[in-house]
Amino acid sequence: MDGIIEIITQFAAQEPAIFALIIGIIGAAVLSAVVNVGAMLVIWADRKVMSDFCNRFGPNRVGGRWGILQLGADAIKLFTKEDVIPSGVDKGVYVWAPILASAGTMLVAAAIPFGALHIGGKDYPLVVANMDISAFYVEAALSIMSIAVFMAGYSSNNKYSILGAFRGVARMIAYEVPMGVCVISVAVMAHSLNLVEIVQSQTVWNAFAQPLGFIIFIIALVTDLGRVPFDQSEAEEEIICGYSTEYSGIRWGLLYFQEYNNFLLGSILMALLFLGGWNGPIIPIPLLDIISPMIWLLMKVIIVIWFIILVRASLFRLRIDQVTDLGWKWMLPLSLVNLGWAVIIGSYFA
Amino acid sequence: MGISDVIPVPVAIDEEIEKWTIFGRPVAEVWFTTTEKIHQIIEMGPIKNIFNWGRKNSVYFLMQPMGCCGVEMFVFGAAPYDSDRFGCIPRNTPRQTDVMIISGYLTRKYLPVFKNLWEQMPEPKWCIAIGECAISGGPFYDSYNIVQNTGDHFPIDVFIPGCPPRPEQFLEGLINLQEKIKQRKDKRDY
Amino acid sequence: MTNASEVLSSIQSAFPGAVLDSRVESDRRLWATIDSNKILDVCKHLSSKLNFDHYSGSAGVDWIARKEMEVVAIMASHGAHQVVAMLKVKTPRENPSVKSLTGLYWNANWYEREIWEMLGINFEGHPELYPLLLSDGLMGAWPWRKDFKGYPDLTTGERAVAITTTEGYTEYHFPPTPAEIEAGTVVTQRPKYPSFREREEREIKSDSEMIMHLGPQHAMVPGPFLLDILVEGERVKKAFLDIGYIHKGIEKIMENRTWLQGITYTDRMCYVASLSNNECYCGAVEKILGLEVPLRAQYIRVILEELSRIQSHLIGTGEFLTLIAGVGFAPWQYMIMDREKIISLIESVTGARLTHTFVRFGGVRNDLPEGFAEQCRKDLPYMKSRIEEFIELFAQDPIYHARMENIGSISAETAKRMGCAGRVLRAAGVAYDMRREDPILVYPELDFDIVTGTRGDSADRIDVTLREILQSIRIIEQCLDKIPSGPIKTDVKIPKKIPAGEAYYRVEDPRGEMGMYVISDGGDKPYRVKVRGPFYATFQTLTPLLEGVYIADAVAIAGSMDGCPSESDR
Repeated sequence: MDGIIEIITQFAAQEPAIFALIIGIIGAAVLSAVVNVGAMLVIWADRKVMSDFCNRFGPNRVGGRWGILQLGADAIKLFTKEDVIPSGVDKGVYVWAPILASAGTMLVAAAIPFGALHIGGKDYPLVVANMDISAFYVEAALSIMSIAVFMAGYSSNNKYSILGAFRGVARMIAYEVPMGVCVISVAVMAHSLNLVEIVQSQTVWNAFAQPLGFIIFIIALVTDLGRVPFDQSEAEEEIICGYSTEYSGIRWGLLYFQEYNNFLLGSILMALLFLGGWNGPIIPIPLLDIISPMIWLLMKVIIVIWFIILVRASLFRLRIDQVTDLGWKWMLPLSLVNLGWAVIIGSYFA
Repeated sequence: MGISDVIPVPVAIDEEIEKWTIFGRPVAEVWFTTTEKIHQIIEMGPIKNIFNWGRKNSVYFLMQPMGCCGVEMFVFGAAPYDSDRFGCIPRNTPRQTDVMIISGYLTRKYLPVFKNLWEQMPEPKWCIAIGECAISGGPFYDSYNIVQNTGDHFPIDVFIPGCPPRPEQFLEGLINLQEKIKQRKDKRDY
Repeated sequence: MTNASEVLSSIQSAFPGAVLDSRVESDRRLWATIDSNKILDVCKHLSSKLNFDHYSGSAGVDWIARKEMEVVAIMASHGAHQVVAMLKVKTPRENPSVKSLTGLYWNANWYEREIWEMLGINFEGHPELYPLLLSDGLMGAWPWRKDFKGYPDLTTGERAVAITTTEGYTEYHFPPTPAEIEAGTVVTQRPKYPSFREREEREIKSDSEMIMHLGPQHAMVPGPFLLDILVEGERVKKAFLDIGYIHKGIEKIMENRTWLQGITYTDRMCYVASLSNNECYCGAVEKILGLEVPLRAQYIRVILEELSRIQSHLIGTGEFLTLIAGVGFAPWQYMIMDREKIISLIESVTGARLTHTFVRFGGVRNDLPEGFAEQCRKDLPYMKSRIEEFIELFAQDPIYHARMENIGSISAETAKRMGCAGRVLRAAGVAYDMRREDPILVYPELDFDIVTGTRGDSADRIDVTLREILQSIRIIEQCLDKIPSGPIKTDVKIPKKIPAGEAYYRVEDPRGEMGMYVISDGGDKPYRVKVRGPFYATFQTLTPLLEGVYIADAVAIAGSMDGCPSESDR
């Protein structure tokens, strides 16, 4: 064991650039595996929890009575479907849109801390790229999905798709601004744009320190994820499947999957910014105390995910003009009010 | 057919690649031959069973109520009978569906539309005919506007008789289709 | 109150010689043959002086033996009086042509178009005589004429020839049948639909507009129909409706079945309201026969029809909820769950879930099973509490109100003028219900309210629907208390051949006023059955309602009408 570590350290000292590259590739692989498996679990949870709300069972024929392998079956089917590229589409854009969507979510994942390890009385955050402006970066990278959505809808040569794309962009523009202002408010109170520092600075959860910002952020987040009541870009009963109407097989699978990737990452962001991240009492049991920050974060993330699923089961869908009205006329002014509040509170406690 | 048909590269690159050779043969030719070989291996081997396992447990059907059976189809997908248990959920666009349910009378006016929908569905795809009307014209067998034998136009794997069949029968038909897919005995040989 | 003979004398005094033949069946039914030159004047007189503001439909009849055709206009009033006037206009079978009533009654449009494409009777002054139900291939064959040769056609599927158009679509061509070739009636000149491309060229004025299809396969449609909307951005500027994608020719088929077999076809006209359709057909035949239905059978019919109304309203509302909230919305699943309870109640009596064929001439098929009343008394209070919960849920939901209020509003006057039926009419504030207007069975003895709305918008329509369920529950509970013992079928033997005669019978379908006009020529088969479907009447008003709304609202409006294309296409 010691020998291997020695060899690695020697190699790192001799060829720092190659070493960094190798570490980076391994990190990216582990990261995407973690995120994608997480997203699959979110899809499964979505189907099962929704079924439960609707008085149904949900998938229960493959993978035991909980239907855990259902997504495996779906994935195999989608991978082996015919790859249809309709004749009228703008091919380059059409093909690249799902790939851009996946790339966007991975960019988000790189900067998000997935928890921390508590060793020797100190938290070591688990984050691939610990940037100084990670809060802002994550919020910006989350909106890459909207560009992918627009590409998909625009290139499909389909009337439903183009309407879905327009709706998606109109919605994104209206809600990305208040969401950004909320992130700034949080940053103002934490005196930092670094997500790790924002978490560490939350002695009182931001959800209590700035409740208005909390509410605005969660509405903007649901909008960003495109879930009911803000799923106008893929409103099934109006424009079939919106931007993904012409997509089939694995290309559609990728687009669909990225929505859930975003769902997972957005929920983690929510927990980090407003619910105190991994802060919480350390469980005084050996070994468990090391991962106890992660347990806290996981619990908070699950609550956020569960809440957003519940919203889908219980609310009506808004019309697109009502959505943009709500965004510009209510969310934006209120988020500015919240920013003022954050400045006052932040300077008082500083 | 060029490489740009399979992987997303600009056509200019495609043209460039066509000039390249490998072992004295054009790259594109080698590429496609290999792909074909891989497909043949998949067709024969046990990996096909894994594919079919995935396909049989994830049949999305095209939501398209047409007659009395359409109402029962609605109930079949909803809470009381819950087709989601079998991984079978309704989708609205033919591009994302695997099974087409002919849920009622097929008229002269609707046949072209229906055929287009069927052609828009990506392979592999299956077809279920539900109710007497879809099988033989049913009580409307001698109508001037009904297409009696839908089997002439669609490769139907499962016929579910009834007027309309109960949602339980829908479920049984679905299970039969799954069994057919598993045993590779469906009409189109997947 | 006006009665039929007063109406007749009023017409006769205003236009001497206009009434060629007349029969006053009862206080509520007037049959009159009007001189074809004076029909417009008579209708004008009826609508302006005698409150006949409800054009309820029209039927074309081909009297091949008498070498003439008949167009029967069915006129009624929205509550001012209860007379239904059946005005017949005769025209020779060679080049048949009558005057169009579209100038007087807006909703005559579809009825006359249908008669034109089916029987080939030309309507002078009709604004848009192009096919409504039939596909191009059948135009000009006039399938409802008695000498139509393509019938029965058992080879439609085999004969179909696929043609791929230049745009890559498949189209089907149906060569003439052997019978047609033999008779030499192969149609060469056919009137045509305006095709989609023509419509695009005609209607699209600027680059920012496009025509979008909602249908025939779309998540919105409860059955195949094509709603084309011309949109600019998110706004609908104009809407076009093409129906007939599931036109089965039920009226023609029924002419070729025995009287009893006809009942099964009425089931399949509107499959969520089969019992009302059964009732309508059987009632009309009973009227020709002059049969009296035993009291117990009447009560059983009422109970089952009201149960059927509840399940129809539940599934209609459930579908509507998926349209405005997405399929993930939980309450619609609860509605479908509750509907199963009602379905199993009906099933315990009739043995079928949807298509019952339960009502018979002069009675019903079988008696209520043991324990039915107890089960009803157990399930109905539960249903009542659930419906009250739903009403409260929608009343409280702010998003629902923002989406639904003042969307697709229709005023009482417009609703009457356009001839809407059922919930659309009642939501606009017109208390027009066949159970009161033209009472049948034991409805006069039962105590119930006619539910009306105030604004006539989509929210009101759903509210009216849900509150109607409460009234239906009330009716069933009263029936269960009052139901007497006794026979369930009349003692009179029903003859195989029904004596010659005609009758028009109206019932309150879950979707509104349904009428059937049945003619017997003394044979073992009906000579003609004309169905006046409620959704057919309401469907016509969809396109004007959609002008200027958002796409999302267009879907909500169409959904709130509780469509049943199978019934409108027949």
